[in-house]
This record gives sequence, structure tokens and C-alpha cells, in this order.
Amino acid sequence: MSTLQCNRLCFHLKLAILWMFFSGAVFCIHVFASTTEVETNSDAGKFIMKSYFENYESLHDSSFEDFMAHQLSSSLCQGIPDNWNVGVRLSVRELSLIGEGSHRHLSSSIRLQIGAASIPKLPAHLCEVIVIQRLPLGVFADPFELQNPHKHKAFRDIAVFGDTNLELPSFQSNRSAVEFHIDAGSNILFMQNNGTEFNLLLPLHARYQPLDESGYSVVEIGEPDMLMRCSVEGKQHKQSCLFMSPPNEKAKSTSATVAWKIPAGMKAHAGFVSVITFVTALLSTLSIVYASMFWSGTKVSKT
Amino acid sequence: MISLKPRSILLISAIFRVGLILVGEWQDTHMEVRYTDVDYLVFSDAASLMASGQSPYKRTTYRYSPLLAFLLIPNSFISRCWGKFLFSASDLFVGLFIRIILKQRKVPDDLCTYSMLIWLFNPFTFTIGTRGNCEPIVCAIILWIIICLINGNVVQAAFWYGLIVHFRIYPIIYALPIVIFLDPRFFRSGTKPLLSDWTSDPGKARQINSELIDKCAVCDVWKSTFTRSRILFGLISGTVFLLCTGFFFHLYGWEFLHEALLYHLTRTDARHNFSIYFYHIYLNYERELSVLEKLVSFLPQFIVQLVLILCFAKDLVFCFFVQTVAFVAFNKVITAQYFVWFFCVLPLILPWSNMKLKWKGLCCILLWMGAQTHWLLWGYLLEFKGKNVFLQLWMASLLFLAANTFILIVLIRHHNYGPVFRQHTDLKTTKTT
Repeated sequence: MSTLQCNRLCFHLKLAILWMFFSGAVFCIHVFASTTEVETNSDAGKFIMKSYFENYESLHDSSFEDFMAHQLSSSLCQGIPDNWNVGVRLSVRELSLIGEGSHRHLSSSIRLQIGAASIPKLPAHLCEVIVIQRLPLGVFADPFELQNPHKHKAFRDIAVFGDTNLELPSFQSNRSAVEFHIDAGSNILFMQNNGTEFNLLLPLHARYQPLDESGYSVVEIGEPDMLMRCSVEGKQHKQSCLFMSPPNEKAKSTSATVAWKIPAGMKAHAGFVSVITFVTALLSTLSIVYASMFWSGTKVSKT
Repeated sequence: MISLKPRSILLISAIFRVGLILVGEWQDTHMEVRYTDVDYLVFSDAASLMASGQSPYKRTTYRYSPLLAFLLIPNSFISRCWGKFLFSASDLFVGLFIRIILKQRKVPDDLCTYSMLIWLFNPFTFTIGTRGNCEPIVCAIILWIIICLINGNVVQAAFWYGLIVHFRIYPIIYALPIVIFLDPRFFRSGTKPLLSDWTSDPGKARQINSELIDKCAVCDVWKSTFTRSRILFGLISGTVFLLCTGFFFHLYGWEFLHEALLYHLTRTDARHNFSIYFYHIYLNYERELSVLEKLVSFLPQFIVQLVLILCFAKDLVFCFFVQTVAFVAFNKVITAQYFVWFFCVLPLILPWSNMKLKWKGLCCILLWMGAQTHWLLWGYLLEFKGKNVFLQLWMASLLFLAANTFILIVLIRHHNYGPVFRQHTDLKTTKTT
């Protein structure tokens, strides 16, 4: 190929590329471009789990319950003689696992009820429901997947706390938790007696499990923890405070868990798998070495 | 016989890729299953972080050079498709470079066209760039290095080589064959090396090859090891690599070194992939593997690479191809994007192959795709249906290695091996008829 032809071809290629960029960029910007930007958690201080991890290194049920019972008590709404009498009830109506395999969705149906007699006690304010789904060791949520604006536009905020390493097997990772903030509606005074319901669909992924003789590992996911946070007009500025369901209503029953059966490697395979793997690698190596030495620098006559 | 002109092929390829990118954007917006590779989202996030003055390594699973994030900074302010267009443009350059290399070696027009088409319209390769995978950039640079070498431009080849090793590590396997390739008999100061032209006559090429082997006495090889071009190549490529690495280490510290370099050198992934080692690694993940075990798993790779280099280095393009196939096949982790590494070199060796498409070539293609599909089937049952099929999946990976080995051997057997260069004194006797 002569230099002139090469130069001409390069010129045409550059033109084609420029045209490609221009037309494609115009289309992308004006037709399909989404102007929604993925926001990072700019106001991380409002996340309850962030406060938890400032006090504890990793997520354990006992530590978390201790945190909820004691350290959050200072954030409970003041000025109301008995916070429990406000009659805020957050309950899980249904908890289920949707899908098959290593990628599923945890579906939670949450009901928020505020007793009619209690409504006049609540000042007009802005409230959000906070749902904290603690995840067991064997599963994780992808924080970047949760930032997908198309799937999660109903939520004010979502964040994952704890071990967010997506690649480690469960026996080398720690637990994590997902915190949702959902707008409960600006005028809670008009809420009906039967309350309002929120449906959460949380995409989850299974980690590689510890070896098990049965070939499967069962991971159990419990109900989420729920609170309501309201912005209250204070003397000088707005403050936020928490409402929690009465303690006797927070006890979770064993039926309120979902079980996920995840395939696991079997220790009985370890011996022969290693041997056969190395023997196969060796045989392949010898074949390639033989072929290279026998056929390099020689010709095969055309048929 | 195909009569399409190269510029028409490139134009059609460009239009096709633009269409795919736009369809991909639509699919991402409207459908559950995304077209865009998850890695592209990682690159884009890392580029956004870099654009805002932060480290790209704040993005988890970003394990590339900061150069890649830098190239994708326009994703944040021009269009999120910028990177895809960049990768697709690199794709087109690979097609162009394939033609340039083959034309320089006097390959007939129709074979050049077929070779271009094999790359530009291979479903595997055109989806790679349009889905947002960065491998086409690597392929384009590798081919540009080949062009520089066959034109005797050692300095430029060394520069790009140092850069690409910093960018993607795996091209380090080409270091030794390139050094062997810089034979002082061909690379003389002030003289452009003479290319061996493509020939359909097996006898002529065998003649050239045997003459070179006859003259290649052991003492001559040893005496000519440290030549000007070899030292120059080593120094320049090494300097470029160290400068890039040093600069980014200064900016991003140990996090850069670990994520972009050390991770790839020590990577073992227990999660299922095409490699035969994945199940062995998973079953032994909870205990530390002994030094002997690590050595035994590295030996096949080492031996195969060494033998292939010693046998085929003079036929540099073929050497690159067989090395890459073997490197991918024996690696501890194999993902589908690695296949692009040898797909870009495949069109360059086909004009020198005696193997006919009907039926041997077709059998090889079907065997390779069949073995892959077989693995994917078990992978689907494990990952998307939750069945414990680890053993079957591992056996499928053994079959995949067997298929790769068989095809590699068949290609070696049918390759018209011949050095890329010929000696100046041989000019009259090697003119093609």
C-alpha cells in the first residue's frame, strides 16, 4: 500500500470517526441523555447507620440493638409527654425473596399507621420513614446499583453501610446494612386510620459461601428495622427527631425471616479437583510444547 | 471475491457502531437488562471522581491506570457516551492497522479485505467497544507497535510499548519476543529492515527460514544479544513505564500501585470463570496455598510461554498470537474480554495459514464456540438458577482448555512459518514470482 493511499485512508478514517462522534454525541445529549446525576450521599450525617459505624467497627445484631435502644433515645422527639403514645406503628406486612439464583430481590411491604387520636398531638411537619435492612454474611447489596435513579426514584435517599466489597466470599467479608429514607408525606395530619403502605424492592447478590457437605448454604434475612423521623419547628430553627414503634411491638417473630439457599462448594471435591486440574494443565502444556518444537520453522504443503 | 473498498468498509463499520451505541443507550434506559458493560460504569465513576480532583481509586473495583479515567473525563461534561465512541474509534483503527500491516507485507487485496472484515464484523469484537470495554485501545496500540517494528521505528515502538504495559500489564509477555525480533542482521543503523513478503509458495518461505537457521550459530546469538536496537528498546520502554508509574504513584500513592498493578499480578478469583483453576482456588480459599502449589500452577504458563517464544519469535505476529492464546488459556482468571487480546492478532496470521475454512476452519470455530457455550450453560444454571453445578462447571472449563489447546496446535501445524524480515543480501533470490 503506497504512502499516498495510506494517507488518504487515514484521512477518510479520521473523517468517519469525527462524524461518528458528532452525530452520536448529538443524539446522546438530546435524545437519550438522562440529566439525572447520581448523587453521592452528600449529607451523610443524617444516616443512622453512619452514626452506628462511628461507634462500632462491624455490624452485629447485639451491638445494633443496643445502639437502637440506648444511643438513639437522645434523638427521640421531645416535648411530647410520652413518645410511645403518639401511636406510630411501623410494621412489616410481608417479607419475601423474589427470583432465582445468585441475584434476587428482597421485597418488603411496610405499613405506617398513626392512631387517629394521636394525630392532633403531632405538629405539622415533614416526616420520612427510615428503613434499615440488616444483611447477613452471605449476601450483599451493590451501592452503585442502588444509585440507579430510574429504579429508585421513589426514595429520598439510599445508602449501604458496612462491608461493600463486592468480590470477597462470605467467609472473608463482614456484614452490611442498607438504609432507605422514604418520604412519608408532608401533611401527616390527613393520614387515614388504616395508614399508608410502602413497598421496597432491594436487589441482593449472593457471595460465595463456605464449603458445605450438602452443597448448599442457607442464609436467613430478617425483617428490617423501621423508624420515622420528622422535622419539627423549634424555637430558633428546624430540628429533627425520631419516632419509634413501642418496644413490645418490635419483637420479631421467627416466621418473619426469609431463607435463601445458595450453592456452596463441597470439601469432598478438593482432592481430586486439584489433582485433575494440574494433570490437565500439564497435558496441555506438553501438547503445546511438542507441537511447537515439531512444527516450528516447517511448512505444511497446501492440499 | 469481495470488492468493497477499505474506506467503505470503515464507513459502514463506523455507522454500525454508532447505531449499536445508540441502541445500547435506549436499552439501558428502557429495559431491565443493560447493554452497557458494568466496567464502563466503573470507568465513568472513576473519571467523574478524577474530574472533581479526587482519586479514581475511590471507586471500588476500579483497577486500571488513571490514564483510562483521564481519557473518560469528557463523560462528565460532553456525554456519557464519550468513552464508547472512543473505544469504537479504536476499534476502527485496529481494522485500519490490520490492513496497513498486511499491505506492507504484500498480501493480496482480497485477503486484506477478509482480514479487515474478520475484525470489524466479528460480533464479539464490535460489541466489546460499543458496550464500553476499553480493550480496543490496547489492541490498537499493540498493532501500532507492530507497525513501528516492521518499519524499523524502534524508538516509537519502545515508547508505545512502555505505555501499554503500564496501561494493561499483560503485554509484558511480548517483551522477550520483541527483543529477539530486534535481530541485528535486520535492524542496522540507518537502514530500514526488509520485510519478507507474503507468498503462497511454501517452498520459498522454507528456504528463507532454513537459511536463517543455518546462519544462526549459538556463538553469533550470544555475541549479538546486546545490540543498539535492543538496548534502546529496553531503555526507552522501561523509562516510559517507570515514568508513568512513578507519576501516578506520586499522585495516588499505594492505592494506585495496589489496584492498578499488584492486584493483577497476584489476582486469584474464587468466583466461577473460564479458568480451570477457579474451583481449585475456591475449594482451597480458606487455607493458604503452599509455595509449591503456587509454583506448580504457574509452571505450565511459564513453560508454554518460553517454548512459544523460542520457537516463533522471528515470526513476531504469529508469536504474539500463540503467546496470547496460551496466556489467556493458562491464566488463573479468564473473562470473556480477554479473548479480544488475540482476536486482534488473528486476522494478521490468517493469510499465512494453510487451513481452509471448509471444513477445518469451521470445525475449529464451532469447537471453540461450542466449548464456550457449554461452559456458559453450566454457569447460567449456577448463577441464575441457583443449582449446585460446580463440578460440571469445572469440567466444562477443562473442556474449554482442551479446545483451546487443540485449536492452538492445529493453527501451529497449519501456519506457514516465516520470519517477518529477510536479509538485504537475499533480495534478488527472494523476489516473488
